[in-house]
Amino acid sequence: MIGFLRAIVIWAVAGAIAYFILRIYARSLRREALEKEWDADPKGDAAARDAFIEKGMTDYEGSLRNRLLLIIFVLPFIVIATLLYLVNYA
Amino acid sequence: MRYVKWAVWGTIALIIGLFLHYTLPQHDVVRVVGTYQERQDLTDWTRIFWSSPDDQSGTLANRDVQFIQTIRTNGRPMVYRNEDTGWSWPPYFKFDTASLQTEADDLRSTAEAPKWAVVTHYGWRNELISIFPNAVSIRPVEGPDVTIMPWFNIFFFAFLLFLVVLVRKMWLQFRERMIDPALVDAGQAWDSVEARAHAARKGARGFFGRTQAWLNTWKAKK
Repeated sequence: MIGFLRAIVIWAVAGAIAYFILRIYARSLRREALEKEWDADPKGDAAARDAFIEKGMTDYEGSLRNRLLLIIFVLPFIVIATLLYLVNYA
Repeated sequence: MRYVKWAVWGTIALIIGLFLHYTLPQHDVVRVVGTYQERQDLTDWTRIFWSSPDDQSGTLANRDVQFIQTIRTNGRPMVYRNEDTGWSWPPYFKFDTASLQTEADDLRSTAEAPKWAVVTHYGWRNELISIFPNAVSIRPVEGPDVTIMPWFNIFFFAFLLFLVVLVRKMWLQFRERMIDPALVDAGQAWDSVEARAHAARKGARGFFGRTQAWLNTWKAKK
């Protein structure tokens, strides 16, 4: 039982680390895309550019794509359940 | 220096390769000839090649281990241990040791009337230090020359490749967005320091500046 709890904790921590690193990466990609979008067709000064990017990032926070990243938390447990079934019951 | 670099990379690649070779599942076509159970000492360094099942005390000095004796298609013997991996490493989550032993017993056959089976296992057999690969599953097959697709390993290496590419892209993104701008800032800061030093040198001109510079030529060279 202790082993089970330990495995759960270890895999959950691994999932959390992967989630936060991927979140930072995805946000960085989105910000770069927004910057490029503005620079291709500027509609104002530097302040307008900052406002445009901040608005884009706020929109991104609530997007489905950003929320889909949460699947990473579930992924290790899907893999464990599949392996458990294949090794012991298939 | 180049040889040192290659030696370091070679060692790292060798360790990763050995680790994967030990841990990833492999398939053997075998004929089961028997099973047995034997008490094993767990006190020397070869302890790392035996499992540590969940339902067993960590301080145990020895315990019974189940074994599956087989003959491979090339006629040579191979003996597998049959142990639970439980929740620990390697992550096979194997709990069906008793069932596997029963299946192996059921497939027992003689050289005259062979019944062939595929054993999925991980680990190494070494006679010198008495270590055995751990059998994970067994299933009967038609004959000794079946083709087995290592699906798990295909997916595993595809995923590993994906991870390596992803980590590399992340690192490049991090460098482009975080490190390079910081270096540019540092470069600009350094330029302004140099500009100030240049202005200071200019200020040292004139009569006193020249006198000072002349006096300095008498100082001991550092």
